[in-house]
Amino acid sequence: MSLASGPGVAGSLSLPEELQLAIEPHVKYIQSLDSRRDELEYWLTEHLRLNGLYWGLTALHLLGRPDALPRDQTIQFVLSCQHENGGFGAAPGHDAHLLYTCSAIQILAMIDAFDVLDEKGKGEGGGREGVGKYISSLQNQTTGTFAGDEWGEEDTRFIYTALNALSLLSMLDIVNVDRAVEYIISCENFDGGYGVSPAAESHSGQIFACLGALSIANRMDTVNVDKLGRWLSERQVEAGGLNGRPEKQEDVCYSWWVASSLTMIHKLHWIDGKKLTNFILKCQDPKEGGFADRPGDMVDVFHTCFGVAGLALLEFPGLEEIDAR
Amino acid sequence: MCYYEGSPEWDDVVPIEQDDGEGALAQIAYSEEYAEAMSYLRAVMASNEHSPRVLDLTSHIISLNPAHYTVWLYRARTIFALASPIEEEIEWVNEIALENQKNYQIWHHRQLLIDRLYPAISSKPGALQKLEDEERNFMTQMFDEDSKNYHVWSYRQYLVRKLSLFNDAELASIEALLRKDVRNNSAWSHRFFIVFSDPEISTKSSPATAVDPKIPADIIDREIEFAKAATFEAPQNPSPWNYLRGVLRKGGRELASQESFASEFVIPGKDKFESPDGEEVRSSHALDFLADSWAKKGENKKAVWAWGLLANRYDRIRKGYWEWRKASLEGVETEDKGKGFEAKLEGLSVGS
Repeated sequence: MSLASGPGVAGSLSLPEELQLAIEPHVKYIQSLDSRRDELEYWLTEHLRLNGLYWGLTALHLLGRPDALPRDQTIQFVLSCQHENGGFGAAPGHDAHLLYTCSAIQILAMIDAFDVLDEKGKGEGGGREGVGKYISSLQNQTTGTFAGDEWGEEDTRFIYTALNALSLLSMLDIVNVDRAVEYIISCENFDGGYGVSPAAESHSGQIFACLGALSIANRMDTVNVDKLGRWLSERQVEAGGLNGRPEKQEDVCYSWWVASSLTMIHKLHWIDGKKLTNFILKCQDPKEGGFADRPGDMVDVFHTCFGVAGLALLEFPGLEEIDAR
Repeated sequence: MCYYEGSPEWDDVVPIEQDDGEGALAQIAYSEEYAEAMSYLRAVMASNEHSPRVLDLTSHIISLNPAHYTVWLYRARTIFALASPIEEEIEWVNEIALENQKNYQIWHHRQLLIDRLYPAISSKPGALQKLEDEERNFMTQMFDEDSKNYHVWSYRQYLVRKLSLFNDAELASIEALLRKDVRNNSAWSHRFFIVFSDPEISTKSSPATAVDPKIPADIIDREIEFAKAATFEAPQNPSPWNYLRGVLRKGGRELASQESFASEFVIPGKDKFESPDGEEVRSSHALDFLADSWAKKGENKKAVWAWGLLANRYDRIRKGYWEWRKASLEGVETEDKGKGFEAKLEGLSVGS
């Protein structure tokens, strides 16, 4: 799965008045990504390969084409990224990290391949258990946070990815969820948002991660919904798109981070859904496929995933339903 | 183009080619260079070699692809194994960081370096001061390129905690950034942190959203005035308004205490709060602020007037939010209560 941008450019063709979603070109675009190994950028983005596969596959599932990538090859590639400690790296030969481990589990869950993991997976005890034990070994028992890898860097994103993967593995009980929840609560800011660590600036991506973790932990009761909803809804700009922080430019990926966060607190109707839909549609290249961060820029698989996911959240016709909660 | 093959220094290493099936790298020089360097990295990692030439090799690869996290981690391992001078490494990292604004691995690497360096200098005031000054100067250079760089701000918070930089120099540095761009929300956020998490004047672990009785009143006053001055400079900038609310909360003060200030931005029409007509609003945030204050005091008619204006004139894109505020005050059952997700997109008809 190439993370290289292009070839398409968003909004390069004038769309018809009734903005349409170019489903077939998007599917073809994603399918074509792994055949781009003759491009340097394919190799320079190797450190994101497993994420890229997850983004591409998620978009295909939402576009109603879950079989558009070969299942066996997908499983084979995912397992080739696993280390002896049970964790996954971004690609073969890259160090294990929680972010990629979560992508690996999400991919295997999406294509219903846990049985293959149980058969061939590495780590202590092997299979699902091997992965679960790797993840739980990264939790700081005092603070409840998770390190991304053996080097100890901490980030609220890692709590989310750990809980997400463990919940898919039905192994949440092997970590201290209560303490992780306490840590997330300590990251709430004066403006109602959450950041990467206590007192770090509120950021829509981190808010998604914090709410996602709280939602999985079934602790949404700890959220000041009105205050957070106020801040999140303020992210919509005149062009209809959403930004990640005050006074920043809009970007298609926040169509997911912000809108799914609003959905988790039942406030998606606080923003203008129609304007957001139109903004997302303008970020696609209807001919070559793919979405960009905003009209006029090169498309890539990351923005394609979150553009499609944003539309699915907005219940755009022709897409699979999405349950952000 | 071969850097390593044929070099006497690397003669003993057998490179490990990428095992990734068909489709080799494009036949362009830059790719070959990268592919060759990577194959030597695989080889040294396989034999767990930590040596000066590994530092050269990782430096080369990072110059070609600074986002490759495994290379950074292997470099850190090598630096620590060789006990290489940390200060030199920091200087080298500075250049890479300035050239790669979006890069994230660099900042993690830098934290590892500081963690390593700190114990050796923690009892030397001169060395600590030097580190503080150099780091602050470097971050100022980074902010010249992008003053909202999230990685740099996260690192800065880490450094403030590590070196206990809740001091005047830090505050002055943030003020300088805000003078340059009063809309820099990152700087506002950092200011809140250094003022209200200062262990000297705050309650330990007091949540950012909680009243903290330990904060002296003159600090609260100072921060209120600081925020207010910034709203006059750019009335439609959300950051100082949010900051003001945050400060009032910390000090346990009511929004009403700042009503006359906020009123300077909102002048009702001749019918006063009876009709949405003829008013003059210089800041939607002021209107929002006043409405909250009025609602708190039970002056519901005025609050509803303000929310109506926000919904229909000054912040139409968030009409759903303002309508909900109105309805919740009027005690009307709204779709927020219960239906939630299903009701979320009233009026959305796609393709029309």
